[in-house]
Amino acid sequence: MSRAEDGRRPRPRVLRVNPVACQGHGMCIELLPELIAADPWGYPLITPGPVPDRLLPLAQRAVNSCPTLALLLTSPQ
Amino acid sequence: MTVRLAAALPTHAEAVVVNSATPLWYITRATGLVAMVLLTISMVCGLLSSVGYQRPGLPRFVTLGLHRNASVLAVAFTAVHIVTTVTDGYAHIPVQDVFIPFISAYRPLWLGLGTVTSDLLLALTITSLLRSRMSYRTWRAVHWTAYACWPVALLHGLGTGSDTPVRWVLLLTLLCVAIVTALAGWRIAVGWPGRPIARVAGAVALVLALIAAGAWLSAGPLKPGWARRAGTPPALLNHAAGLLAPRTAQVAAHIGQTAARDA
Amino acid sequence: MPSRAVRMRLLPETPQLTLDEHLSTYGPPPFADTACDTAGAAPLIVAVEQSGLAGRGGAGFPAGRKMRAVAEAGRRGGPFRSQVGTVVVANGAESEPASGKDRLLLRRAPHLVLDGIVLAAEAVGATRAYLCVHDEAAPLRDAVTSRERAGLNRVPVQVVDVPGGYVASQETALVGLLNGTGPLPAFIPPRPSERGVRRHPTLVQNVETLANIALIARHGPEWFREAGTPSAPGTALVTVSGAVARPGVYEAELGTTIETLLDWAGGFAEPPQAVLAGGYFGGWLPLPAARRVHLTDQALRAAGAALGPGVLIVLPESSCPLAETARVTGYLASQSAGQCGPCRNGLPALADALGQVAFGRAADDLLRWTHQLLGLVSGRGACHLPDGTAGLVGSALTTFADDLRYHATRGPCGRAARLPVLPLPAPAAPPAPPAPPARPDPRSRPEALA
Repeated sequence: MSRAEDGRRPRPRVLRVNPVACQGHGMCIELLPELIAADPWGYPLITPGPVPDRLLPLAQRAVNSCPTLALLLTSPQ
Repeated sequence: MTVRLAAALPTHAEAVVVNSATPLWYITRATGLVAMVLLTISMVCGLLSSVGYQRPGLPRFVTLGLHRNASVLAVAFTAVHIVTTVTDGYAHIPVQDVFIPFISAYRPLWLGLGTVTSDLLLALTITSLLRSRMSYRTWRAVHWTAYACWPVALLHGLGTGSDTPVRWVLLLTLLCVAIVTALAGWRIAVGWPGRPIARVAGAVALVLALIAAGAWLSAGPLKPGWARRAGTPPALLNHAAGLLAPRTAQVAAHIGQTAARDA
Repeated sequence: MPSRAVRMRLLPETPQLTLDEHLSTYGPPPFADTACDTAGAAPLIVAVEQSGLAGRGGAGFPAGRKMRAVAEAGRRGGPFRSQVGTVVVANGAESEPASGKDRLLLRRAPHLVLDGIVLAAEAVGATRAYLCVHDEAAPLRDAVTSRERAGLNRVPVQVVDVPGGYVASQETALVGLLNGTGPLPAFIPPRPSERGVRRHPTLVQNVETLANIALIARHGPEWFREAGTPSAPGTALVTVSGAVARPGVYEAELGTTIETLLDWAGGFAEPPQAVLAGGYFGGWLPLPAARRVHLTDQALRAAGAALGPGVLIVLPESSCPLAETARVTGYLASQSAGQCGPCRNGLPALADALGQVAFGRAADDLLRWTHQLLGLVSGRGACHLPDGTAGLVGSALTTFADDLRYHATRGPCGRAARLPVLPLPAPAAPPAPPAPPARPDPRSRPEALA
C-alpha cells in the first residue's frame, strides 16, 4: 500500500505527537512498541527518524486508533 | 388453580396482541433484542475505555476495537430491525416514521424513541467514519449523545416491544441495565476529578433515572392493558382480540372441564 | 533606568513621547505607495531580507523571511479569504522577568514601534494590527489615537492587554488570545504565518524588531549593516542586571563583548561568579571566561548560553547558583500551561529534584533522575518551556559542577539563604485557566475519553 506504482521508494514518513491533543491513553504504545515507548507518566516517547517501510501499515493503524487523533504520520519537516 | 389460570389469561392475550402472521415480525423482535445486547456491549466497552481500564490480557486497543465492532454490529442489526418493521405491513409503519420521530400512528411515543435512537446511531456512525476529517471537538460533542442513545433504545424496546413481560426478556433487559448502571457509576466516580459538583449531579441523575424507569416499568408495560395505553391503534387491538377469541373460548372450555373434573 | 548612547539607534537620548517630537527626530514613516499585489514582494520586505535583521524576541528568526512568508500566504488567499486579509501582531508583552527592554522601548519611542507596525502591515498586505502589552496600555492607546488624527495609521491598530504569565507572550499563545481561545501555546503546524488570527496569515514580531524595521525603511539595509557583524548585523537592546553598579537597558552593537557591556553597566557591585545569558531559557557562563564572549547568538550558543531577548544577569559569589536555578525552575514549572503531559508532569518533578539538590542532599540516584528528566521533557511540549527549562538546568549542572559536588557530599552551602538575585514576578501566578469548556481539565489523570 505504501509503494508507488513504478516501484520507486515511497516518501519517508515520520511519526509525530501533537502534545496538546495527547491525553496519554497509550493505544499507540500498545500497538507500536517497536517505535513508541511510554515515559514515566504514560505519554508516548517516539523513536526519532523515518518509519521503516515494513512498519508503515502498523504505524497507520496506531494513528487510526488514537482516541484524540494526536498521533500523526507526516513527511519530515 | 382456576383463578390463577384466569388471571394468567389476560396477560398472555395482551402479550400477543399484535400478532402478525408473517415471519418478519419475529425477525423484528429478534433483531431488536440482539441490537439491544450489542448496544449494551458497545456501552460497556466505551465506558471501560473512558475510565482507562486495562489488564495484562486486555490492552486498551482491544477494548476500543471491541467497542467499535460491537457498535458496527449493533447498527447492522438495527438496520435489519428497521427494514423488517417497515416492510411488515401489519402495523403500517411507513418510511417517514423511520426518520421523523413521534408522528407514527402505532404507539407514537415509544416508536418515536426508536426513531430517535436510529437518528442518533446514524449521526454517531457518520461522524466516526469521518473522524479524521472533522475537528476533534465536533466529533466528541456528537459522540457524547451516545450516552442518551442507549437508554432511549431501551425505553423504546420496553415500551414498544411486545415481549417485555416475557420473563427471560425482562431478565435480559434488567441485566443490561445493571451492568451499564454499575459501569456508569464507576465512570462518574473516576472522571472529572476537578469538578465534584458535576460528579454528584451525575450520580444523583443516575439514581433518579433508575428509580423513575423502574416505577414506570412496573406501572406501565408490566401491567395489563399496556398495548392500549401505549397507543396501539384500536383496529389492531380489535383484530388481535378477534384472532384470539376462538383460542380464549378453547382455554375457557378446558378450564371448565378441569374444574368439573376436580369437583 | 539609565541608558547610554552608543551609536544610538533605537533608544533616543530623551524620551520621544509625542508624535511631533518623533516626527522631528526621525521624519515621517516612508510609506511605499505601491500596491501589494505586484509580482514581487514589497520593497520593504526585500530591504529587511537584505539587512539580515533577526527577530529580537528571543527566537532570532530572520524577520525578512517571516514577512515574505506572510505576504505570500496572503496572496495565495483561499476560497473565502480576500487577498489582503493578513494580520500584524506586535509582541510587546515582555514576560521574561529579567528583561525590561520592550517596556522601555514602548515608553521611550512608542511611535518608532508604531511606525514599524504600519510599515510592516503595508508590506505584507495586512488589514489589521494588534499591539500586545502586559501593562501601560493607556499611553499607547493615546499614541495610536494621535497618529490616527495625523493620518499616519494606514491600518487600524488595536492595543491589547495580555494577562501575565511566562508563556502568554509566546507567538501562538498571542494568536490564541486574539482568537478568544486563551493565551495558550498551540501545536505547529500550522504556523501563524500560514494561519493565525481568525485563520488569516499573521506576522508576529517583537516590538524591537518592528522598531528596527521602521529604521530600515528610512535608511536602508546598508545603513543597518553598518553596525554589528556580517553574520549578526545591527544593534540589540540588552537588559543588564544582578551584581552590577548600574543595572539597566543598554543598546549595543551585536558582536560587542560581554566585558564591554558589563563596563557600561558600571562594573561589578560585588565579586561575581557567573553570568546568566539569554534569560531563563539561556545558560550560565562562568566568570571571568564569560567576559571574552561576543554578544551574538552564535557565539553565545557555542559557549553554552544563548542571546534570547538580550538578558544578562550577573550572579555574585555570595549567592548559591544551584539555589537560584532551583527557584527559577520552580517558577518556570508553575508557568506551564498544563496542556502537554511531559511538561505538566516533568517540570514540577525537575523543580523538586533540583530543589533537593540545592536545599537538601544530592544523592547519586537523584542526579541520575535529574539528568533523565532533562531528556524526558526536552522537545515534548507545544512550546519551548520544557526545552528552555531543561537547558537552563543542564547548563547549571555543567557550569557549577564544583558546587554540585559540594552539595552532594556536604549538603547545602550557606549561600542559599541570601536574598534571591534572579528576579521572579511577585506573586508568581500561573497563567489563566483554559477558557473553552470543551477542553478537559488539564490537571486530571487519567484523562477520560468521552
